Amino acid sequence: MPEPSKRSRRFRRVMKKTPGGVTRLMYKKRRPKQAHCAACGKVLPGTPRERAKKLHRISKTSKRPKRPFGGMLCSKCMRTEIIKKARK
Amino acid sequence: MISIGRLCVKTAGRDAGKTCVVVDVISDKFVLVDGQVRRKRCNIKHLEPLKKTIDIKKEASHEEIVKEFKKLKIEIKAKRPKKKVEKVKEAVKVEKPAEKIEKKKIIKKKPAKEPKATK
Repeated sequence: MPEPSKRSRRFRRVMKKTPGGVTRLMYKKRRPKQAHCAACGKVLPGTPRERAKKLHRISKTSKRPKRPFGGMLCSKCMRTEIIKKARK
Repeated sequence: MISIGRLCVKTAGRDAGKTCVVVDVISDKFVLVDGQVRRKRCNIKHLEPLKKTIDIKKEASHEEIVKEFKKLKIEIKAKRPKKKVEKVKEAVKVEKPAEKIEKKKIIKKKPAKEPKATK
C-alpha cells in the first residue's frame, strides 16, 4: 500500500521507465486547465498545458500565437474586434 | 472597392490591426500591400477596406508610401539595418602525429567487458 496521502486521487499517476529498466508508478501533480478564449470560451490551440515550473523553461513564442490578442482571444474573435474598430 | 491606393486594415496574421495601402492588384484574389505592414502579397479576405484613398502610382516604392502616410499622420516604424557579420575563415587543419594513431589501435585490441551478472 502507498502512503496515505497518495491513496487519494489528488495526484495523477504516470507509468515511467526508470534508469534501472523497471517500469514504476510515479505520482505527479495534476495539470491546470487549458487556456480558453475570453470572448467565446473556445479552447485556444497553440497554448501549452503545463505547470508554471515547466512554462518557465519554454520560450515566449512557443507559448502563444504571435498576433494581437494572441493567447487571449481566438482568431475569429480577434478579427471581429479589429473590423469593429475599423468601421467606426 | 479594392483598387490601387485604397487604405485598408489587415485582419489576419501578426500584422493584424495595422493599416496598409494596396500597391498592386495581382489577381481577383490577391493584392500587393505596403505601409505599416511588411510589403507582401495578401488575400483580399484578410483586408478590411477604409473610406480613405491615397494618390500613388502602380508598384510605388516604400519611401513614397512613407511620405504619403506622414501627411495622414500614420507612423511607420523604420526597419533596423541588419548588422553585417564577418565570416571567419576556417583554420587549416594540422595533421595529427603518427604516434597517437598507433595508441588508439592498441586500445581497440583490448577484450570487451564481461556482461553484467543478472540478479
